[in-house]
Amino acid sequence: MTDQGKDFDDRVLGPATGVGAKPPAPSADLLRAVEGMKPVRTRRRFGAVAVVALVGLVGPVIALVRGPYRRDLSGLPVGWVIAASALWCAAFAVSLIAALVPRRGDVLPAPSRASRVAAAAIAALGLFALFATVDVPGVSMLPAERGWTLFDSCLHCIGTVAKVAVVFLFVGLLALRRLVPVGGSRVGMALGAAGGAMGGLLLVFICPFATTAHVVLAHVGGVALAAAAGAILMRVTAGPAIAFALLGLALASGC
Amino acid sequence: MSTEPEAREAAEVMARYCRGDAAAFHRLYALLAARILAYLTGLLGDRAAAEDMLQLTFLKVHEARSTYVLGANPIPWIYTIAHRTCLDEIRKRKRSRVRLSKDGEPAAEPAAHITGVAADVHPDPADHPDRSAAAGALAALAKLPDNQRQALILTKVHGRSVADAAMITGSTPGAIKQRAHRAYVTLRQVLGRKEVA
Repeated sequence: MTDQGKDFDDRVLGPATGVGAKPPAPSADLLRAVEGMKPVRTRRRFGAVAVVALVGLVGPVIALVRGPYRRDLSGLPVGWVIAASALWCAAFAVSLIAALVPRRGDVLPAPSRASRVAAAAIAALGLFALFATVDVPGVSMLPAERGWTLFDSCLHCIGTVAKVAVVFLFVGLLALRRLVPVGGSRVGMALGAAGGAMGGLLLVFICPFATTAHVVLAHVGGVALAAAAGAILMRVTAGPAIAFALLGLALASGC
Repeated sequence: MSTEPEAREAAEVMARYCRGDAAAFHRLYALLAARILAYLTGLLGDRAAAEDMLQLTFLKVHEARSTYVLGANPIPWIYTIAHRTCLDEIRKRKRSRVRLSKDGEPAAEPAAHITGVAADVHPDPADHPDRSAAAGALAALAKLPDNQRQALILTKVHGRSVADAAMITGSTPGAIKQRAHRAYVTLRQVLGRKEVA
């Protein structure tokens, strides 16, 4: 007995919701589909992540190979370059795995894990950018040198992050088609964060601006925007047609 | 309710099903149809609609069997498909037009309890004390917000873990715990007081 009333017997909930009731036999449509079925090739736990990573990495790898690199790259501490690359790379990997790889024994990726991991990755990147951004005085470029404001420089780098992220989002959306029927926005958030983190990793090597404000707002902010875009896209996309339309729109707008 | 051997059997049956074994489909149906039907009935509050959704759920499972991961427990996945199918149905119902009779009034529809008993049948509670308790529980369940009802049915009635329930509903384990607790407290207030009276 509690002050809220006498406890009730929760065993009544089973009969109330029809637990134990005999189900109907499979319908004729269902039986027809089953009778004519052929063996299917099932999905592998790491299959989707491998495909999405392979396709998504093409652009950043080409950009890294072709350059040009930031002019202060050779002046930056090697340890910092390695640490920054490792952090951005880890943020990319954990977000992508959380979005696409189901836990052992599960069929679907866990939406709550995906959003938690993505949020933690963005927070870690934000803290690193805030407290560990370094520059080479006299060599690192300021936006004013190009006649840009901080806002202009942020827009430029967010555009780069978006170009990389849109490929991950698009291929990820296709890979997840029919797979994440609920909680899609959380998975989309992780997918966007992964794409954004890969864009951020690219910027570590090519972005000439090394001010803390720029890195936090444009690089980490770009990741956050990509995550938000992923969450919205996964919520609104009903199928590949819409995903293709969105990609076309993004490319047409020069994103 | 979800035990390791049961999950193993479901995984093994699902693997045979994916290899094209029709008998495995029938085994999977026998294994899961009753509880999926009960879950759908709990969400929809309509046995006939739940039976339709059950067929649709298994049709979707059949179409999506290539997305199954060999060795994984298919039970939460099938619950998830059922959940989504049910949400689509609920949305469709909300969108559907209200049918009007000739005098412009909403047309009366035959109603049924969640247990499948017609609404105008009033069994004598003295003859069926369990049925009367179930009817009370049902009425109280129907008053709960959708997300609380889903959390309560999955965790308390179907014995799914909080993590499974979170995956099935696309929510977080914390939210599921909170919703199930709130639903339980509400039911305890409603049904407990009734029992005292």
